[in-house]
Amino acid sequence: MGSLDRTGRMGSFRKHLRVFACYYRLNLASALEYRASFFIQAFGMALSNSSFIFFWWIAFRQIGGSIAGYSFEDVLFIWAVSSCGYGLSTILFANVSSLTNLIVTGELDTYLLQPSSALLSVLCAKTSLSAYGDVAYGLILMVVFYAGNAGAWLWFVFGALALAAIFTAITLAAHTLTFYWGDASAVGKLAAEFAINFSIYPEKIYGPAVRAVMYSLIPTAIAVHVPLKLFHGFTPWTALAALGGAALYCVAAGAFFYRGLRRYESGNAIVTKT
Amino acid sequence: MPVIETRGLTKTYRAKVKGEGLGASVRALVRPQWKRVEAVRGVSLSVEPGEIVAFIGPNGAGKSTFIKMLCGILNPSGGELSVLGMDPTRDRRKLSMRVGAVFGQKSQLWLHLPALDSFTLLAAIYELSDAQRKRKVGELSEIFGLGEFIQTPVRKLSLGQRVRCEVAASLLHDPELLFLDEPTIGLDVVVKQAIRGLIIQRNRERGTTVFLTSHDPSDIENLCRRAVVIDHGGLVMDCPVERLQAAAGVSGSGASMEDTIAAIFRKGAAT
Repeated sequence: MGSLDRTGRMGSFRKHLRVFACYYRLNLASALEYRASFFIQAFGMALSNSSFIFFWWIAFRQIGGSIAGYSFEDVLFIWAVSSCGYGLSTILFANVSSLTNLIVTGELDTYLLQPSSALLSVLCAKTSLSAYGDVAYGLILMVVFYAGNAGAWLWFVFGALALAAIFTAITLAAHTLTFYWGDASAVGKLAAEFAINFSIYPEKIYGPAVRAVMYSLIPTAIAVHVPLKLFHGFTPWTALAALGGAALYCVAAGAFFYRGLRRYESGNAIVTKT
Repeated sequence: MPVIETRGLTKTYRAKVKGEGLGASVRALVRPQWKRVEAVRGVSLSVEPGEIVAFIGPNGAGKSTFIKMLCGILNPSGGELSVLGMDPTRDRRKLSMRVGAVFGQKSQLWLHLPALDSFTLLAAIYELSDAQRKRKVGELSEIFGLGEFIQTPVRKLSLGQRVRCEVAASLLHDPELLFLDEPTIGLDVVVKQAIRGLIIQRNRERGTTVFLTSHDPSDIENLCRRAVVIDHGGLVMDCPVERLQAAAGVSGSGASMEDTIAAIFRKGAAT
């Protein structure tokens, strides 16, 4: 019985993976229909991110040493993780930020008619072109400043993947409120902005109350600041707690979505997929 | 065993009531008022395998809401519901494997990509192997005449070509039951006839049960043997299509199907 369950789970996992891969290929193909736009957006995003690092370089030159306990290299590390994590989230799950619109216009119908996971299909059905620039930028920072540092790369990969999941979950949870409130697009935008701000500045510039939010309601600190701490001094319990916290948050966001889905009222707006 | 069986199926919504102007908007913000809307009111219906049923009613009658409950998209507020022996609310994903749907207002095709790419995604979703996908796409392409434009981005297709692709997409997994919600909306006469021919062919060759909503009287005349009329969320008529005139009280008047349906709707509105 146990082995049958395992076979079933593996089959289901393989099916999800096949659908996920198919969505990714289609998204990329759709994006490449407009090649010029793709390259301009990706390059533009990398350039925009560079201006922030230039600002940090000036700030560290003026102040020197460290800012709120972070060195310039530490800031580069959290920027690399944030940029890559956010980029991965929006390359793979860009549709999460359209969730409010999908609910309000009744476009969720199309996903609910299919025998796949509604959440997986909704999340994967769109990509962001500029996000490729975010990922490239994060990788370039790591190559330039941490090229031969295996430890930095390990925690960078851990952080980027965890942030991609957590950022998606935060946005998902915020937009899911639309099932209850009618339109949570503003909350969704706000949550995404807070999530980004909590990721790209040294943790200690925020007061204790905000830091509590950074580890609970909008827990991007788990994926950005904790990996930096682990890079400086590894403790297995911290790593496990970060991993467990990230997984728990994502599962809770998914459960919240499915609970909200029961209240879905559909609609008859005329819509097409792009 | 019936393909579709509902007993006292009901769907109610809570809708916000707001007066006109800014003042009313501010009042609604502080003290919102709600009213209960009964979109579907105790509908009992049974559809046998292989039937082609016209499900008709004026705009806002509750047709789409009813179909969405049958597909598992919406949860009923009351009553009992069984589709292909399953409860759509509980078994939505399992049921989807055996059901196809075309909602005229919503597309399952990717606008910027050829329909062929959308078929590939749907094949993955419906768990078809590569060999099955190729065979099914080839077969549907031939039946629906998609060959010329299957590799053209959907945004560049005419409406008729697009609807042919939509219907083909809904049949990729060989559904036993097909929900068609206004599939011929906006199409020219020739394409409408082609789509109808394909639906009939499917029904005859595979025994596919078809549950169709349409505002086009020709769809009802040419496709369906049975008509179910719904108005204000309630069932008002369920009879063979050839008895619609008598039921509407216009038999012997030489009324067209359009006139007959209009008479039924007017009767419904008056009651």
